[in-house]
Order: sequence, then structure tokens, then C-alpha cells
Amino acid sequence: MGRTLRPNSVHFERGVGPIDNHNTRKPKILIADDSEMNRSILADMLWDEYDIIEAEDGEKAVEVLKKHESDIDLLLLDIVMPNMDGFEVLEVMNQNHWIDDVPVIMISSETASTHVERAYALGCTDFISRPFDILVVHRRVNNTILLYGKQKKLVGLLADQIYEKEQQSLMMIEILSNIVEFRNGESGLHVRHVRVLTEMLLDHLIKKTDRYGLSHNDILLISNASALHDIGKISIPSEILNKPGRLTAEEFETMKSHTVIGGQMMDDLPDYQNEPLVQVAKDICRWHHERYDGRGYPDGLKGEFIPIAAQIVALADVYDALTSVRVYKPAYSHEKAIQMITEGECGVFNPLLLECLMEIADTLPEQINNSAVTGQIELRSIAEELRHHEELSASERTLQLLEHERMKFSFFAAMSQEIQFEYTVNPPMASLNAWGADRLDLKETVMDPVHSPEVLKIISQESMDGLVRALRSTTPAQPVVRYECILNIQDEPRWTRIIARATWSSDEPPKYTGAIGKATDIHESRMKLEMLEREATHDPLTGLLNHAAARKQIQARLEDHPKGHFALAILDLDYFKSANDTYGHMFGDQVLKYLANKLRESIRGNDVAARVGGDEFLIFLEYKGEAAPVIQRIFYSLTSGSYENFPISISMGVCLTDRVGMNYETVFHAADQALYAVKRSGRGNFRLYTPNLQDKLSVSAISPIDAAENTVNDKVEKGD
Amino acid sequence: MTLQECYTELGGNYNDVISRLRSERLVTKFVVKFLDDDSCALLLQSMEAENYGEAFRAAHTIKGVCQNLGFTKLYEISNQLNEALRNGLSPEAPALAEDVKAEYQRTVTTIKAFKESAGL
Repeated sequence: MGRTLRPNSVHFERGVGPIDNHNTRKPKILIADDSEMNRSILADMLWDEYDIIEAEDGEKAVEVLKKHESDIDLLLLDIVMPNMDGFEVLEVMNQNHWIDDVPVIMISSETASTHVERAYALGCTDFISRPFDILVVHRRVNNTILLYGKQKKLVGLLADQIYEKEQQSLMMIEILSNIVEFRNGESGLHVRHVRVLTEMLLDHLIKKTDRYGLSHNDILLISNASALHDIGKISIPSEILNKPGRLTAEEFETMKSHTVIGGQMMDDLPDYQNEPLVQVAKDICRWHHERYDGRGYPDGLKGEFIPIAAQIVALADVYDALTSVRVYKPAYSHEKAIQMITEGECGVFNPLLLECLMEIADTLPEQINNSAVTGQIELRSIAEELRHHEELSASERTLQLLEHERMKFSFFAAMSQEIQFEYTVNPPMASLNAWGADRLDLKETVMDPVHSPEVLKIISQESMDGLVRALRSTTPAQPVVRYECILNIQDEPRWTRIIARATWSSDEPPKYTGAIGKATDIHESRMKLEMLEREATHDPLTGLLNHAAARKQIQARLEDHPKGHFALAILDLDYFKSANDTYGHMFGDQVLKYLANKLRESIRGNDVAARVGGDEFLIFLEYKGEAAPVIQRIFYSLTSGSYENFPISISMGVCLTDRVGMNYETVFHAADQALYAVKRSGRGNFRLYTPNLQDKLSVSAISPIDAAENTVNDKVEKGD
Repeated sequence: MTLQECYTELGGNYNDVISRLRSERLVTKFVVKFLDDDSCALLLQSMEAENYGEAFRAAHTIKGVCQNLGFTKLYEISNQLNEALRNGLSPEAPALAEDVKAEYQRTVTTIKAFKESAGL
């Protein structure tokens, strides 16, 4: 139905934003700057995507805005200009409400915060400081135009839809009411007059009282429904309806029935019983001839039992009937009508409504005369008001909030001593906060940072790849990445923790669009942690691992290499107690250190050497082929010397994982038993654990050694 | 003389301007265009006529242009002059204006030489 009333093309073009207003039209940018050079640099950056208009000072800019206001999509505005400066231009734009429709980006080298604040307070959208970067200008211009464009388009569409819908329902109501009026022989204006009067009375009423709890929406509803007040007359015979003379009592009863019939008609609408419009219309139809003193018809309702909608329409109906020509009477003057109503010649009305009528009486005739077009104007103004209101809330407020957030962000970014960054994949570019840029000795904007040589001087290719991989493998639901790596900050390698949040588009499937994040220097704490870790795992005297740490490492290796061949040796410094007793503890410590060094020297990189406690040490090693030669070599190298005439003699018990399996505790226990056996048999020797060693130990605590061990032992003893 | 040499000669920051404006062609165009800029003449006239508001704006324009083109040296001096004129005439302004004039002429001479050697 709507289509036949409104051609499609018109419908779809309305309210579409500036960007695709006409498919081929480029957005138009006004550049206001007094320097021709500066204008042409900007124009050169933007001409291929935008239509450029130039203004050489504030006055010219205002002139252009006056002429092309609805056409300008963006104003790039300098501050310092002759005749009229940038702030004055903004003021003029505010006075004329142009600022609602034309976004302004200030470009200036005046970056004093008072200037910036004043510009924002005057409604400027963005601020670009000189010297500007072509990409930054492009991006900001583009963003601003897109933002405004989309918003205008949405608001336009919404307003259009509401306008369309309202217009259609109002039209239907008017068609119906006009049918009734036509039968009545009236001009069709009565419906409009009643509508205007109803609305005026209601508008005034809510200023005086909130007793009836009426909203702006209710007023619209009642006004619209008022058009239906006489709909019941459709079933009154036209002889009675149009009888010029006085009605008989019987005829009058028939006439009066239009109220009940109208109410019934609303009741009989099958599908719309819950529609507010229908409910209000029912009240109005049935009760618009009731009177405040209960002497009206059809039900004789009294006072506030009569719904307020019906009370108001009744008053409006009476006034318009009095001031219009009827078959049975001439038109009375406005003054006469008011007088007749207030004197109660047409029945008693709500005193409050009479007050309202009196107070708006002066404006009534004019308003009613205008009512032929008022309906249309009214509707348009609703749509316009909505459009304007929406724009204020969406553009100014949102942008102000956005700006506030940005200010807050940059303030905190400047305060905090950390590197903050924002990265976009397209265009490939990173922005740093000022502090971060300074710290890293980079520009605040870095193009293609992933491949930039300057950036790769700071972060290794490997770390960069790792970071990018980590970011790309996030999901929109879990976008945060923690990444620790070394950055070369001012030529010094520093441990740094990067916490970044990948940004994903809202497309389906979402696209990775970049990241925001910060880098914190954790060098000191990391170093401290490493030191603490070292302290916790190492024996302070000898610098070897302590037992707990050694056990952990060994267990890990056993688990990681279940098929490996490992040997664990526990060794004990013979006669250590006598060294302590004879030469003192300082000397004893020196001996322990000496032995620890020997241990360190005699093992390979992956082997483990540790101080178990006291004068007891531990060696854990992996061997290939025969274990015996390796162990023998170590034993020999440890016992081959003396420390300041104190001969180093050790006892050593060894266990091979081949013999007892890969459980650390078992291996350790077995080696300990072998050591015990050596000590029992005279010290200065070493033994390999064999399963039957344990049996025999339990019997005699002395160690008969199996054939293989004997061989080894012999050799060792020979070397001794 | 290359554009880079021209920048070195006039005390500008070539790398900076290239990184911002992205194109040697564009920078060359504007550098040459700088010769047509009459802000310096306006500045000197305004100083002469004791119209310090106009002089402030002219200095501001020179400063802005130099900032955009990365003419560091001239920018610095014109910036000082700009500040010296912000609230009308100050004692150091006339000397600074002379400095701007001298530096401006040096810059122009360099650009002219560049223009000629580039055959523009």
C-alpha cells in the first residue's frame, strides 16, 4: 500500500547519509587555513578521495558553510587565521546548529591544552597537531566522515520509518472520519479542528497538573483517537442526521445512540482490542457527550468517572460545533462560544479544563485556521524533532564521551611509565604513547612495525614472530596474550612483559584486525626472581645444587628419558670430621669447596652434581655403553689430590638405573646402601649396587661384591 | 643537488618529512612551492607597520609551514618569534624578526639552487 502512495525511488533515497547520497558523489571537505601552503598540502593528501573546498580565513569558511552547509561532510579548521579565527568559526557553527551536522577536525600547532579544551567544548570532533602525518590525517578524516555518515543515515532511516508509519495510520483515521463527516454534510474540517483543540487543551493541561499522568505519547494518542469521536454516526439515518429543524424526542434518542454505537464499533474490532489507540477511541466515542455534573449521555457518568480523553474531546467538540455552521444553526463567534461554554449553556465541564480553555482562548482562532495544514506540519515536526534529538544524543554526546575517553587514555598513558601501543593490520601501523616512543627511541607512529628495521633492532625477529603468532592464535572470546621477552631498550637488554589484547572484527567469521597492549619492564623483578630461584636451589657454600633441587632435576630427567642409562653416585669425604677438628671449620669449608670444584670439573654439561648435606655429595650422569669406566674415571679424578696437605679420600656408592629401575628414591637408597658398604669395608673406595648386595647387607652389613664389581674395584685399587 | 642534500643544506629534517608525507615527489612539490609563500614579506611589512597582530599570524604561518615541511631550523626561529609576538610586541621580537628574515633568505636561496639543479 505504501508503495502506491510513495514511489520506491523516493522512499529509498530519503535519509541516506552523505557518503552514498549519490553513488558517485565524493564526500566534500572544507579546508580553512590562512596559509596557502598548508591548504595545498592537505588538499594534495585528500583530493583523490574527497572533493575539496578551500577557505583562506574564518569569514570565508563561514560563507562557504552558509552556502553549502548540507553539502559539507567535514571541516578541517586552523585556529590562527585573520578576520575570524577558528574558535569564532566554531561559535558561529554552534549558533547556527551547523556543528550538529558538520564534524570539525582542528589542525593546529597550538597544542596548548587550553586551546584543545576550548575547541572540544565548542564541539570540534578531533584535533590533529602539526606537523601532521599523511596517514594520520587520512585515517582521522576517514573515520570522522564514516562515523557521521553512518549515524546520519541511521537516524534518517529511523525518522523516515516512524514518519511513514504515523502518516499511514493517521491517514486511515482521517479517511474513516471523513466518511462520517461527508454523510453529515460537514466540510471534513470538524475532525481536524477537534484534533487541534484536543491537542492544545492537553498540552496546556499537563503544564498545569500531572494529576492525569499524561505523557507526550498519550497526548498524541488521544489527539489521533479524537478523530473517531463521531464514528457511530455512520449508522444514524441521514434524515435525522441532516434534519434542519428541531429533532423530535424519538429522533433525538436515535441521534444520541451514536455514542453507544461508536463505542460498540470499537469493541467489535476483533484483532485490536489491546491497542491503546482503540481503547482510547472507545472511551471517546462512548463518552464524549457525558458532562461533569452527570447530566450527559449515554451513561450519565459524573466527574472524574469520565475518562479525561473523553472530557477533553467533549469540550473541543462543543467549541467547534458552536463556532461552525450547522444545519440547525449559524456559526457563533469565538468570543460568544467561549462565553456560552463558561456560562454552562452546553452543560457542565471539568473546571480545570475550563480554566485551560480560558487560558488558551486567545490563540484558538488562529491555530484552528491553520489546522488545514497543521496535521502535516505536526507530523513532520515529530520526525524532525526525533531526527534532531537523536543526532544530538548520538553525535555530540557519543563523540564527547569518545573524546573524553581518548583524553583520559592519553593522560594516563602519559603519566604511567610504560610503553603502550596500538597496532592495526590494515594499514600496517603501530602507534606508541609519547613516553613509550621516547623510551624505545621510535616515532609515535611506526609503519609496518612487524618488518620495520628500527623495531627489529629492539625486539628480535624470533620474539616478534612469537608475539605475532600468539596474537593471531587468540580468539575473540580470549583475546589477551602475555608474552615475556628481552627488548633492547636504549642498547640495554631488558626483560619485558608484553600484555596485549588482540582486536577482532565483528564480521562472521571474525577477522584479526590488530592489537592494543603495553610493555612493562620486568627486568629487575625477573633478575631478582632468578636470584631467589638460584638461592632456593643452590647450596650457598659450594654453589652446587642442593639436594631438593637435584632430586627435582634428576626426577625430571628420569621421567623424560625412560630408556636412558643413568648412574647415581653418592660420595662422602673420608676423615672430614678430623679435618674440622684439627684445622677448624673454616678449613673444613675450604675442603668442601675444593671438592665441589673437583666435582664440577669431572662431570659433563647434562650431569648433575649436588651437595646432599654435610660432607655428602651426589653425582648423576647418563652413560653410553659400559658404566664402569666412566665411574672409575670420576672416582679417580676426585681422589687424585690433596687440599693443603689434607689428602682427599672419598667413599662412593653407585647405583645404575639398569639395576633398580627409574624411581629416584629407589636409586638414591640403593646408592646410599652401596656407600654404606664401602664405608664398612674400609673407605677410600667405591662400589656398585647389586640387588644381592642388599640381601647380604641385611645379613652381615659387609659387602661381598659380585664378579663385575670386583673387576672394577681391582682396577681402581690398582690405580690408587 | 638532491632533495636530501637540499634539506641538509637548509637545516631541515629530510627523514622526518619523508616519513610523514610518504613521497619524495610530494615533498619536492611543496618545497618548491615554498618559494611562492609570501608570509615572510607579510611578516616584515607588518613589523614595519607595527601591526603586531598581523605579524604574529604571519610568524605563525611560517612556523606551521616549516613544521609541515620539516624545515627545522627556520621553524625554530619562527616559533621563537611567534611566541615573542603572542601578546603583542616584546623586546626580543625585532631581533628575532631579523633572524627569521636571514634564515628565510638562506632557505630560499638553497631551495632555488635545488630547483635549478633539479631542472624544475
